[in-house]
Order: sequence, then C-alpha cells, then structure tokens
Amino acid sequence: MTYHNLLFVLAAVFAVWAVMAKKLLTSAIMLASLSAAVSLIFFDFGAPWAGVFELSVCAGLITVLFIGAVSLIRAEEEKHPENRTRFYALPLAVAIFAIAAWFYLPAFFDELATGRQMAAGGGTIGLALWDLRRPDMLGQVLMLAAGVFVIKSVFPRRTENK
Amino acid sequence: MSTFAMEWYLIAIIIFTGFYCMLASRSIVRQLIGLEIVSKAAMLSVISAGALTDNLVYAQALIITMIVIEVVVVAAGLALLVKNFRLHGSADIWKLDSLKG
Repeated sequence: MTYHNLLFVLAAVFAVWAVMAKKLLTSAIMLASLSAAVSLIFFDFGAPWAGVFELSVCAGLITVLFIGAVSLIRAEEEKHPENRTRFYALPLAVAIFAIAAWFYLPAFFDELATGRQMAAGGGTIGLALWDLRRPDMLGQVLMLAAGVFVIKSVFPRRTENK
Repeated sequence: MSTFAMEWYLIAIIIFTGFYCMLASRSIVRQLIGLEIVSKAAMLSVISAGALTDNLVYAQALIITMIVIEVVVVAAGLALLVKNFRLHGSADIWKLDSLKG
C-alpha cells in the first residue's frame, strides 16, 4: 500500500474514531487529527495552499470553537449521556458498506475517470484567486459578513424592557 | 483499479461514516462533527478530481472557498447550540423545536 492510500485510510480511521469516541472532547480532537490527515493528503497531491488553509483553519480554528462549545455543555452531557448502542454498530456498518461497495464503486469510478477532460494545467494560485476568480473572493467576504451577522443576531445585546 | 478509483472508494467510506454520525446521534455537537466529516470528504473528492484532470490550481481555489463556508456554518451551528443550551439546558436536536417561528 502506498503512502498516499495509507493517508486516506488514516483519515477514514480518524473519522470513525471521531464518531465512536465516548467523550465529545475526544471527538473534537479526533476531528482535528482528521483535518491534519486531510491536509497531509493535500500536500501529497501537490496542493500546498489548500493544505495550509486546512491545517490552520480547520485543524486550528474549528477545533478551538468545538472545544469551547464542548466545555460549556460537558457537565450536562455527563449527567445525561446519549444512548451509545448505535455508535457501537458503526464499525460493523462501515465494514458491510465497504465490502458491498467494493464490488460496484471502483468500477463505476473507473468508468467516471474515462470521461475526464484534461485541463491546460499550469497557472498559479494567486492568478486563480485574484484574477480569474475574483467574484469568488467577493463571495467569501460576503460569506464571512453573513457569519458575523448570524453571531450578532443570535446573541443580541440585552435591553431592559420598560 | 486506478488510483483515482481507490481514492474515491476510501472517500465514499469517509462520507458514509459522516452520514451515519448525523443519522445516529441526537446531540448538536455530533451532528456538526458528522457534517465536518462529510465536508472533509467532499474536499478530498474535489482535490482528487483536480489532480485527475491536471487542474489543481482551480481545485485549490474552490477548496479555500469551501473552507471559509465551512467555518461560517460551524460557527453559526455552535452559536445556535450555545444559545439553545442557555435557554433550555439541553444540546438535543429534538428539543430545538422551540426555535420554530
């Protein structure tokens, strides 16, 4: 098995671990590990910019957000734990899915790959982001503004009712 | 079997794990974790398709956009969780019906 496929298997293992972990904190940490594995895959593909973003934003910022939320609700979660029977069935479900999909999916994906159209290649990420896809940048700024607006509207300033 | 087919097969397993988490759990945090797993698998499929067609530059630009959207979705979801938890003391999605208009 190549290093490349090994990273994909590692990502799948971290995903299953994140779902199966009993404590939410472990889940959040395993999600960060999954992000780190995904960013390693990006680097392996030769996509360093996506890898850096993935590592800093997904493995960093989102993990901090998750850990902050989990620390708030942890006491309640420990008092009323979720029924975990369905999670214990996950490895079995994944194994059944993997075996069943082995007979159909790879052949389908091979067929999908034959219809590809090769691009010219080349270019730089700066060219793609700033020149060719400039409306995307505007969309991202608007998206961030929408996020700030959601936080602002979910947590309004408390005013006294007179 | 080509490398592309093998990659997408493993991506399908990761997506299945994320969907299973979202179906099986009632906790908002676990729902968001499932969503994160699915979006990671979607990103992997985008970069894999980009590598297949020798179009990594555009794939990276798309992934950066996806990451920004993902952060906003998670921040909004966790903000709803914190608000709902303060109001009702619960992180159960079945008790989110008080938010309906």
